[in-house]
Amino acid sequence: MNLFNKKSNKLQTTNEFNQVVVGNSLTKDAWRRLKKNKMAVISVIIVIVYILLATLAPILPIYPYDEIILDHQHLKPSFSKNAGELLMEKRLADIYTQAWRQGRMQVSEAEEEMLWAWIDSSNANKVWDYMFVVGSEQVAEGTYTLTAAEKRIIENLEKKLQTDLQITVKKVWYTNSETGKKENVARLPVEQVVEIYAEMVGASIASVSNQYEREIEQQLVKVIMAQNTGLTPEEYLLLYDKKLESMSEREHDKLIKENVFSKIVSYAKDIASQDLKTAATDASAEFPLDKEISILGSLSADVEATRKHDRQYYLGTDNQGRDMLSRIIYGGQVSIAIGFIGTITSVLIGIVLGSLAGYLGGKVDYFIMRIVDIMYGLPYMLLVIIAMAIFGRNILNLFFALAIISWLTISRMVRGQIMSLKNQEFIEAARSMGAPTWRIIFKHLVPNSLSVIIVFSTLRIPSFIMTESFLSYLGLGVQAPYASWGSLVGDAVGGMTLYPWKLFFPAATMTIFLFAMNFLGDGLRDAFDPQSKNQL
Amino acid sequence: MSKTTEKRPLLEVVDLKQHFPIESGFIIRRQIGAVRAVDGISFTVNEGETLGIVGESGCGKSTTVRSIAQLYKPTSGSVIFDGIDLVNAPREQMLDARKNIQMIFQDPYASLDPRMTVRTIIAEPLEIYRTRGMLDPSVTKDVIERRVEELMERVGLNKAFKNRYPHEFSGGQRQRIGIARALALNPKIILADEPVSALDVSIQSQILNLLHDLQKELGLTYVFIAHDLAVIEYISTRVAVMYLGKIMELSRSSDLYKNPLHPYTKALLSAAPIPDPVIERKRQRIILTGDVPSPNKERFGCYFYDRCPYKMEKCKTNIPPMKRIDENHEVACWLYE
Amino acid sequence: MTNATSPDTYKRLLEVKGLQTYFKTDAGIVKAVDGISFTLNKGETLGIVGESGSGKSVTNLSIMRLIPSPPGKIVGGEVLFEGKDILKLSESELRHLRGNDISMIFQDPMTSLNPFLRISTQMIETIRLHKTMSRKEALAKSIEMLKLVGIPAAEERIHSYPHQFSGGMRQRVMIAMALSCEAKILIADEPTTALDVTIQAQILELIQELSKKLDTAVILITHDLGVVAGMCDTVCVMYAGKIVEKAKTDDLYAKPSHPYTFGLIQSVPRLDKAHDGKLFSIEGQPPNVIDLPPCCPFHPRCHKAMDICRTKYPPTKDLGNGHEVSCWLFIDEKEHSHE
Repeated sequence: MNLFNKKSNKLQTTNEFNQVVVGNSLTKDAWRRLKKNKMAVISVIIVIVYILLATLAPILPIYPYDEIILDHQHLKPSFSKNAGELLMEKRLADIYTQAWRQGRMQVSEAEEEMLWAWIDSSNANKVWDYMFVVGSEQVAEGTYTLTAAEKRIIENLEKKLQTDLQITVKKVWYTNSETGKKENVARLPVEQVVEIYAEMVGASIASVSNQYEREIEQQLVKVIMAQNTGLTPEEYLLLYDKKLESMSEREHDKLIKENVFSKIVSYAKDIASQDLKTAATDASAEFPLDKEISILGSLSADVEATRKHDRQYYLGTDNQGRDMLSRIIYGGQVSIAIGFIGTITSVLIGIVLGSLAGYLGGKVDYFIMRIVDIMYGLPYMLLVIIAMAIFGRNILNLFFALAIISWLTISRMVRGQIMSLKNQEFIEAARSMGAPTWRIIFKHLVPNSLSVIIVFSTLRIPSFIMTESFLSYLGLGVQAPYASWGSLVGDAVGGMTLYPWKLFFPAATMTIFLFAMNFLGDGLRDAFDPQSKNQL
Repeated sequence: MSKTTEKRPLLEVVDLKQHFPIESGFIIRRQIGAVRAVDGISFTVNEGETLGIVGESGCGKSTTVRSIAQLYKPTSGSVIFDGIDLVNAPREQMLDARKNIQMIFQDPYASLDPRMTVRTIIAEPLEIYRTRGMLDPSVTKDVIERRVEELMERVGLNKAFKNRYPHEFSGGQRQRIGIARALALNPKIILADEPVSALDVSIQSQILNLLHDLQKELGLTYVFIAHDLAVIEYISTRVAVMYLGKIMELSRSSDLYKNPLHPYTKALLSAAPIPDPVIERKRQRIILTGDVPSPNKERFGCYFYDRCPYKMEKCKTNIPPMKRIDENHEVACWLYE
Repeated sequence: MTNATSPDTYKRLLEVKGLQTYFKTDAGIVKAVDGISFTLNKGETLGIVGESGSGKSVTNLSIMRLIPSPPGKIVGGEVLFEGKDILKLSESELRHLRGNDISMIFQDPMTSLNPFLRISTQMIETIRLHKTMSRKEALAKSIEMLKLVGIPAAEERIHSYPHQFSGGMRQRVMIAMALSCEAKILIADEPTTALDVTIQAQILELIQELSKKLDTAVILITHDLGVVAGMCDTVCVMYAGKIVEKAKTDDLYAKPSHPYTFGLIQSVPRLDKAHDGKLFSIEGQPPNVIDLPPCCPFHPRCHKAMDICRTKYPPTKDLGNGHEVSCWLFIDEKEHSHE
């Protein structure tokens, strides 16, 4: 009976004069429907993970994406072996293969046939892998003994793997002899840095300043030459003078400080590597280490040293020995940024022009739509390529070029949306209240077409990433050392058969993201569209 | 309802014409014709009274109020409100006068922006005029806030719901929101475009009663459009019957039912069903043949000629003028010449 | 089967018994139609009146078994057409029934005709679907029907497209199509709501005339009490998925018994009566039919609500002459305690 009364109370409240008939705002409703769509939820999670990885890249424990280690070219992806072991494996495979080719190592006839078949089909990887296994077995069984020369090669490599260090100077400290205070050199004023440097190399300040002035000049001229081609040396000098004049005191000081500081750092690095080399050979120190070593007099440095070949490359390395994992993550940064920023820019342009055309109609509409028609008629890619050629190839220009060309569809869509909305009674109501045009467009029309715009934009992001990838693949996109998924794929295509991981991982990463984006877009459309299949 | 009114004309419509051009042509567009939605109508609305406009769809009744509200620029004629001709006045002056003319719309679902909360909807007219600098400087955000609450209570909505969205309300409640919005600027005249025709019967009477109360309390003047004669007859002081953009008959509402003069009014009245089977069975219906003709062509005779059961030769070529039968009754028909 | 041959049952064309149609939604189960019963006799016109959401359209879609499923489902009851339960028919029998025996016209004549096909094509298709006829015969029949519904120059106009007709003309075409197979029952779902008053009068007149001429029974769904008064023999008043009052039209208007019916009739302004001051009005909003407790759904708005109304749905009481009402006001204490 109690339950009964409760229920009837509930009814009364729903029927009370002012009571609400249905709950939930439109957005909440859409969110509820989106949550029911499993694919969309998974996609949201994937997209969030990608975005987090890309934005947090600088603080993730990954190797720098642009650090070139030439020893580590084209290492296979591996979870169990570090770079040193992979190098050793590679060398041994090489030695065993040589031995077999020279007839010093015997294999069965069937194996022989198989190996030759691989060589004929230029499957070098398979041959090496196989010979490594066979060779190791034979050495262990004693059926093959390494020659002295081979042993020496292996020993040398082992020693190298032991002693090669990767040293980074994190901070340089200067202990003031008078006050005894330790100061970070990078934070000191430019004059003091120059003084420290002069003291370090034992030269006069005048000669030091003479040196850095010359170097800065060379550096600036190089930049100017890269920007303007085909001028005479005199003209370059003229431009340099102009540049120098236009530079503020602070900028100039900054250049000097950078120049001098980098010399101090490289000096510190040299000292540190000498110091640590012995420690690495006689195993008197544990690596990786992180300590402060004194450099010279009052200078000391925080140094981080690792054994170069202890590195682990989970996704392998590229042709310059750069870690593919970090390149993919940093590449994602560029690709995702292009996707989002490009979409946002084009959506903004599209909304403004589309809503103006749609709402004002008449001549404005006619004019804007003819521009759109004409731009539609021009080949999209060609325009981007021309824009990139004119404005120079950098990421900003790429954003710009893509955005300029891709507002067309969105402006058409917004226009259609606005045209269907503008005859609604609530727009008439706003007009009857004397609302100015901008208010009607941006407070009523645009918010009401937002759901369609959001869905469209979500579906647009993948196409931006694709375009960027395509341009990068063609070599028009981002330039090394920067990476994007497209440029990674483009770089990998050359050695596709020998180093398939270089192609596979960036391509897979990109594909997963694009899939997720598309599913998310579909999910959003279903969620926002009241007529969709999810509706009851 | 007391039908004593002060005879001070608040709104005067003089020979209002609203033609919408029909354009055609590729690249260079030419006007090839016009939809004559409103084709020369004149009437006055006195302070404190309700003028009902009744007619079938396409007769131009909605266009008339929209032209009065300056949603369209009239083709010709003038709309004089409080001595100011809204059509030809400078924009500032027009906007200032227009504060006193507000609209209520037909569809309670379409007339409220679904992305706005009830508070923003009701406050919108105030915000618009505040940003235009046409309100008293003492009107601050707080004042608007209090005004919104006051309005919600006035129209019978719980002010606790001001942060809700329109789709959370039922049709009748939404129409109350629309009424609150129209009242926000303290207008003198409210143009109601079929405010009850989309509502259920039981809700319809609630809204009619609310409008009735508001008129009494605030001394409002209404121009009230409906296609339902019973509703019009109930709420109006005077009624204008429109057909094809012309006023056919204009009379005090009680007279119109007792003594309809124009053949079209007679047909309309006889076609309106009465919820009483006994009366209904006894009634003689005048069933008009055919449909409302297209308003696109220019007419030189009576606009009702095609469907009129009493048409004469004269009607074909001469437009009947408005003829005053008595103090409160005008009709445009040659039968009364 | 002796009943089936008795003259009384023969007269009963359609019998709806305890029909329940529910819709499953996120918020809960919507009992759109919850146990309604009525009978339709041959040649009779039955009106179903109610506000939007009262379940009047769902009732008729359920009779035709046109409920979209999911989310809708007919969960109980029987719909007997000439003794056969429609709810148990197979898909092909159902197709035969629709159009042949029961046909429907809808509220919006703009959307219920295919805009891409000529009227002639659409009409011939419909006729040939149900009758074995050659194209020529079907065309002749179509023209005859169009003439019957009063379309001038039917021979020529039959070849035009729907958009070339006005709203009233389109509704006439719809009626012609619906009646072209000599259906025994015509269900008209708000046939005149989208039309003007003068056109409404024409269409209602037409339906009345044709139903007499062809001896067709009509179920007229509307929210307009005026339309019902002029057209119907019997009226059912629906509220929140239930029939609250059912009576002969004259009885209903002469002595409306349910407070809701009374309120409805009183709240409509009337042309023929002088009025002073306020209209009678039913306060509040119609209820949401999700998870209604077993009480009278009208009690929060009822001006005569009693305690019992809040806890129990009233049984149906016959006041004589087929006047049935579901309201506690008419159940005296004895009867109640008896239950």
